[in-house]
Amino acid sequence: MYEFTPVGWLKHCIFHPVEGFEDLRWKKQGSMKIALIIVFFLFVAMVADRQLTGFQFNNNYVKIFNVVPLIVQSVVYYFTWCVGNWSICTLLEGEGTFRKISIYSAYSLVPFIVCTLVKVIFSNFLVQEESIWITALTYLGFGWSIVLMIQAMRACHQYSFGKTLISMVLTLVAMLLILFLAILLLSLFQQVYVFIYQIYTEIAYRIRG
Amino acid sequence: MRIKNSFKKILCAGLAAVAAMSMTLDAFAAEPYKSYIYDTWNDSIPSQNAYRIDKTVTGYDMGLSRLSDPADPLFLSETASARLSNPKDMYFDPDEKEFWIADTDNNRILRLDDQLNIIGAYAELSDGSRFASPSGVYVKRSLYDDKPLYIYIADYENSRVVKAKVKSDTELEIVKEYTRPDTDLYTVETFNPSKVVADFAENVYAVCTSVNQGAVQFNRSGKFQGYYGANRVEVTAAVIAQKLWRKFASNEQISGMTRNVPVEYANFDIDDGGFIYTVTEAANTTTDAVKKLNPAGYNIWDNSAGNEYKFGDIASEYDPTQNQTYSTRLTDICVSDNGLINVLDFSTGRVFQYDRNARLLCIFGTKNSTNDQRGSFSNPNAVEAYNNNIYVIDGSKNDVTIYSETTFGALMHEAVELYDQGRYSEAKPIWQNVIARDGGYPMAYIGLGKAALNEGEYSKALDYFETAYDQDDYDRAFKYAREEFLRENFTLIIIVLAVIIVFLFVLSKMHKKGKYLLKGRLYGKKSRNRGGR
Repeated sequence: MYEFTPVGWLKHCIFHPVEGFEDLRWKKQGSMKIALIIVFFLFVAMVADRQLTGFQFNNNYVKIFNVVPLIVQSVVYYFTWCVGNWSICTLLEGEGTFRKISIYSAYSLVPFIVCTLVKVIFSNFLVQEESIWITALTYLGFGWSIVLMIQAMRACHQYSFGKTLISMVLTLVAMLLILFLAILLLSLFQQVYVFIYQIYTEIAYRIRG
Repeated sequence: MRIKNSFKKILCAGLAAVAAMSMTLDAFAAEPYKSYIYDTWNDSIPSQNAYRIDKTVTGYDMGLSRLSDPADPLFLSETASARLSNPKDMYFDPDEKEFWIADTDNNRILRLDDQLNIIGAYAELSDGSRFASPSGVYVKRSLYDDKPLYIYIADYENSRVVKAKVKSDTELEIVKEYTRPDTDLYTVETFNPSKVVADFAENVYAVCTSVNQGAVQFNRSGKFQGYYGANRVEVTAAVIAQKLWRKFASNEQISGMTRNVPVEYANFDIDDGGFIYTVTEAANTTTDAVKKLNPAGYNIWDNSAGNEYKFGDIASEYDPTQNQTYSTRLTDICVSDNGLINVLDFSTGRVFQYDRNARLLCIFGTKNSTNDQRGSFSNPNAVEAYNNNIYVIDGSKNDVTIYSETTFGALMHEAVELYDQGRYSEAKPIWQNVIARDGGYPMAYIGLGKAALNEGEYSKALDYFETAYDQDDYDRAFKYAREEFLRENFTLIIIVLAVIIVFLFVLSKMHKKGKYLLKGRLYGKKSRNRGGR
């Protein structure tokens, strides 16, 4: 019955929060390419939100622009979410593959991205008295994406509602663990690097006499 | 050859002499501190000096040696010290243009003219009682009867506040004595007033050590009226934790806990309008550090009402040379007759100057360098303002430091004065002059922005507000700019909107007939099934 293009499927998922992802799974649809484009646009939306928001609404520390935290907050968080969810749900008898988790998660991020971009555009026309629209868009984007995310994970792993919520909370814990270990690893490698560099300097001095 | 050499020598010597002449040493004494102010993000940014150190005045300079000279009319005693000793308070009487100093450890009150020359000294009252560590002094001419000049003294060790009539250069006639109130409301055992002010109705307010319910208030007839304007308990994590523990603890445990009480005032001042300004030596710049109390004791500068008043240094500061961290301890406040508010920070020795609306204007003074240097303090105890000068009294160096305005400071004050009166356009050239001296001074851009906004030059105003990063004023200007833009381009906008609507209408008609602009690739049903994985 449902015959859509990949983008059509995306639209179907977003506007049918209850059945959309089930249909997607049943029809074995979903494109990794589109998922990656969405993640890229998540990053773009975050940069736009920080830099292009109208002056009267922009409370960011705009003196310095550093893109790394934004990459971490969008792309890195997304992949940690996928990895964390995959690790947790493999243990909790989820049916989703890593590929499916990545695609479904990315699809459910679309309302957040769209609302953020619309918000950025609006903030350049509105004054603070009308900030209720901005707030409304923020909540709309966030709420919609969370609902979609719950539905996506439920359809992906074929869980009950309660189990989905538990798995998502556990995923957040797993994300924390992953990030912690990553930072630990990073600092350890840095120390190894410094150690090797010191040995090199030492030897270099000796050779030069 | 020989001649040539000597010619070379002469030439060299001549050139050297010219060079030496042109490089005359510019001898000048720089202030021992760097001026700075805070921007929107509470980052400190460098600024011009608004004040420079004029001179320091010691007790000897004031002429205190006259006090031990039996031939002098101001003679106190043979042993009267010619220096100040730990002076705790200084008050400037704007009506008489006289300074009053509480020379605490010498147990005397000094009266000085506006050039800081001694014109009066008092060590005892008409009833023969001598002062014991007087640490607060306040002088005000009465509005009653024959308008006598009244002096109010916080006589710390004698546990009393004295109200006396100033009879002559050496005589004080006691009028009233305010001692520990004998009511159940006053729960503290001691009564050690450290600072005192009086309002026009001659109500007396005294800050007392270890009384944290606020200032102790007496009415004109000497009756205890209650407490005035108590501080609140600053909400910290420890306070919240204790509040939670109290829910579970037994009564014995609760009685063993320390109580969370607000910090008492350090000092206060009263302005022409009868508002009392208080400072508190709490290491927090947002909760009650500086308050402006109306006669009912209600704080006008209240951050819990959604404002963002900040006083003193925003973050505590680490001084690597002395391995010490300084955090703000505001110890004195002074409202000058032109409405500028000077707040003295004990721990860093800085004076923070604010305008009527508590906007930071400038910061000067220091403690961090060697405090033998002029303009840096050891125990800055009190600050006063007179004639565009700022006077700071030091309780350990025992002198008064006088700061005078620089050109930048004078211009800035003039502009701020006009700005506060709402005369933005008149302030414009002055602000431009200020910017020429300090291009990073945020208030100047706000002032210019307001002028541009008043004159209807919205895009210019937007530019200025953006430079100063003043979002609220930008917002106001933006509202007008938007209105103007809409009015000027109304036809164009309507045409564009109409074209878009017609286009969409035509598109939907075409879709219904099965014709697609993009061949239906992006949306809707697919022509062939690509199949899933």
